[in-house]
Amino acid sequence: MPESKWPEKRRIIGTKVPRVDGPAKATGTAKYGSDINRQGMLHAMILRSPYAHARIRKIDTSGVSKVPGVQAIFDIRKEGDEVFYAGDEILGVAADTEEHARDALRAIRIEYEVLDFIVKEEDALANPAKGTVPASKEGNVRPGGERTEGDVAQAFREADAVVEGTYGVPVQTHVCLESHGLVAEWDKDGGLTVWCSTQATDGTAGGLAQYFRIPAARVNCITHYMGGGYGSKFGADVQGNVAAELARKTQKPVKLFLDRDEEHLAVGNRPSAHARVKIAGTKDGKITAFEADIYGTPGIGNAAGVNLLVLPYVYGVPNVKLNNRIVRLNAGAARAMRAPGHPQNCFITESAVDDLCNKLGLDPLKVRLQNLPNNFLKPIYEREIEIAAELSEWSKKWHPPGKGPARGVLKHGIGMALHTWGGAGHGPNDVRITINADGSVLAQCSTQDLGTGERTVLPIVVAEVLGLDVRDITVQIGESRFGRSTGSGGSTTCPSTAPAALNAAAAARDELFKKIAPRLDTTPDKLAIEPGKIVDRSSGKSWTWKQACARLGMDSVQASGNWSPGLSSQGVGGVQVAEVLVDTETGVVRCTRIVAVQDCGMIINKLACESQVAGGVIMGINYALFEERILDRHTGRMVNPDLEFYKLGGILDMPEIVVHMVDMPERGVIGIGEPPTISTAAAIGNAVCNAIGVRVSTTPFTPDKVLAALAQRSA
Amino acid sequence: MADQQRTGDLGAGISRREFLKGSGISAAATALARAPVEALTQEQTEKAVAGFGPGPVTCRLTVNGTVYTTHIEPRVTLLDALRNYLDITGPKRVCDRGTCGACTVLLNGKPIYSCTMFALEAQGQPIETPENLYREGQLHPVPAAFVQFDAQQCGYCTPGFVMAMKAAFDRDPRPSPGQVEAALAGNICRCGTYQQMRDALRALCQAYQNKPKGG
Repeated sequence: MPESKWPEKRRIIGTKVPRVDGPAKATGTAKYGSDINRQGMLHAMILRSPYAHARIRKIDTSGVSKVPGVQAIFDIRKEGDEVFYAGDEILGVAADTEEHARDALRAIRIEYEVLDFIVKEEDALANPAKGTVPASKEGNVRPGGERTEGDVAQAFREADAVVEGTYGVPVQTHVCLESHGLVAEWDKDGGLTVWCSTQATDGTAGGLAQYFRIPAARVNCITHYMGGGYGSKFGADVQGNVAAELARKTQKPVKLFLDRDEEHLAVGNRPSAHARVKIAGTKDGKITAFEADIYGTPGIGNAAGVNLLVLPYVYGVPNVKLNNRIVRLNAGAARAMRAPGHPQNCFITESAVDDLCNKLGLDPLKVRLQNLPNNFLKPIYEREIEIAAELSEWSKKWHPPGKGPARGVLKHGIGMALHTWGGAGHGPNDVRITINADGSVLAQCSTQDLGTGERTVLPIVVAEVLGLDVRDITVQIGESRFGRSTGSGGSTTCPSTAPAALNAAAAARDELFKKIAPRLDTTPDKLAIEPGKIVDRSSGKSWTWKQACARLGMDSVQASGNWSPGLSSQGVGGVQVAEVLVDTETGVVRCTRIVAVQDCGMIINKLACESQVAGGVIMGINYALFEERILDRHTGRMVNPDLEFYKLGGILDMPEIVVHMVDMPERGVIGIGEPPTISTAAAIGNAVCNAIGVRVSTTPFTPDKVLAALAQRSA
Repeated sequence: MADQQRTGDLGAGISRREFLKGSGISAAATALARAPVEALTQEQTEKAVAGFGPGPVTCRLTVNGTVYTTHIEPRVTLLDALRNYLDITGPKRVCDRGTCGACTVLLNGKPIYSCTMFALEAQGQPIETPENLYREGQLHPVPAAFVQFDAQQCGYCTPGFVMAMKAAFDRDPRPSPGQVEAALAGNICRCGTYQQMRDALRALCQAYQNKPKGG
């Protein structure tokens, strides 16, 4: 039996280990799916609806015959079908070059019957009975759940202060820099290989096998590198199936990776959330009631933006009343995006909490300490708030809203927000290890690296157990044929694969001892590993790793491990403090400093862990200050499906980011990918309010909104 | 062949970065005014126009010291020529319209967005791609700093940032951290590795400061 315990003394785990694939990625020699060029490969593209809602009257592909190089067309929709958003797929084309594929799309004539559409939440709410999306006989607006605890009406009557406000976040898109797509190649025996940009090789291979009704064993999904997913890349998708269909039709490899505009339109987004909130509290800062009427849009999807089970967010509030509506629009469907539901919940709750603090005239840090949840996270939050207060110099820098120091028109503000996330490990996730007679070690798993540093997690754990260095371990990841894996969602990859690697390495070590002990004139139970060598504890004899492995002769060691309980756990907290300078003349908000304090149980690679936190913070800064999918009421189209007008911050827009990891090895491994992005926007929102003394109620905090809020205050 | 050579001359020095400095039209006009259009006879101009496409033409690109010959339609960008025709995939296609910098290569030592230049325009000029910074196991100090400070996550933007940063150090061997940061302002990272890039560039500035002159 493999041991299911982390080593008590750790040489490598928890230290800062540079990524093993760092040089290849930094110099562009790493091959992502979109970098794969196969012999005789065709390029494919998808024709999409320009209308937000239409019926396809006629598809005329006769013009394609005049375009050189076109090899196949695959119909996604047929005449008579409806399309439900600008960007909805109609057909796919494969040609010898990308240029010709583009020409082919232009040569196709589609006749549409343009139908009624709604792309604005407020328009749908004003016409709740009007249905313009799939299965919308009852209209575009659906109930999105309710939750009641205690008695809010009574709590509002008895409260020392009641504050009402509206808070909202618009739709954000994932903007994976490598677009969605794959290269598909069929072999002569009917097997399919895809080089796919996915966060789930195993699931993608399985999905393709099902779609094409071929044995799963005949499909290999390869994702050696992938350029960002953030929750949007869990399968082959329409474009992947289409590429594989075109490849089968032509018996040639086909590449189909989406263009930037298609990325914004068709392959996922974070749903919006807008809430009218009423919050109440006592004069000493105890929150007594939270009532919220919420709506948000998942586009043509079905799931809403908020998670009612964790709203109000983080804090223990005795009286709660929530009502949520799902506003479906003629726009691309929402998908999971880095901590689904949580940034929205956090923004709505934390903005209201600060507005309550402001009304009561209390320090928001102290109010937060008073309302922490009564569970295992309470002491973690207390510790993190203390660290965050110290690192941010909270007691020195916090001031009543609008009363802070100013340099001319620049007003300083500071704000805080808390977050939580699950993480947790699970199976099945296989790690396979081979030890060869020359001492070389191979570790394999099908899990892919989203950019979190997964390729380095494996050798850290395996080297720790086998007494070797990280560079001694050859790692192969990101091919579905390497075994089972559960996909990288919910911040579960490291807490699932690190335990699997531990179990696999322990099994490999035990198998090695069993095989070499007789040849070393000892018994397996007497052998132990020390850094770089194997020792016989009874005789005191030792052999270098290579000498010991040489005793395998013609043999080798094969072992595998899966996740097992006891090595990972779930539930993290996090505290972030943001500082801003708001230019009251231009309305420009500049975030100047963020302190992020985060726990994630046992840290495997401190370097990559800190990167994750800083990266999450930056995604949160973008959410707070820049990002918004803008749909045009009149044309039904997205007006900014690009990177010029869909704004992402560059290096000069970024504040100093101070990351503090709270290492808690006794808890086992917990995930880190999602939590650090949750509370940043809320903290910045509170900092803006602290700076100018008035709430800017929706993100992004663009100059127009800041100036409007300032004008309202003066009025 | 002569016509194609002329195309290369006409395009010399027009980069997206320069192009963006002014309004589109005036910048383009400026660039064209610098080209020896006046020297062309009417006959030569007609020949030149007739010579390009729409079908494939021969294109010779000098990438990382190697001359590649390929056949591409004149509309193919330098980025697409590198990626789709020469299998040089270090420069990445992300926005495909000169915003994000993932496709950054050095043309005549200057950083350009290769998605916004025609391949034919880049003929006859040395092109350096990120792959050139990792040859025979030797890693250039700039990407080495990215690795050391973990200034990359998914890594898709990283080669572009690396080229932009290398260009900054090539241009001025002893820059300030602020100057290097400014040189990265034309690039976008989605995973959010800017903090680690700052660590990397500060360490590099320090190392370059300590280098003997001319080193």
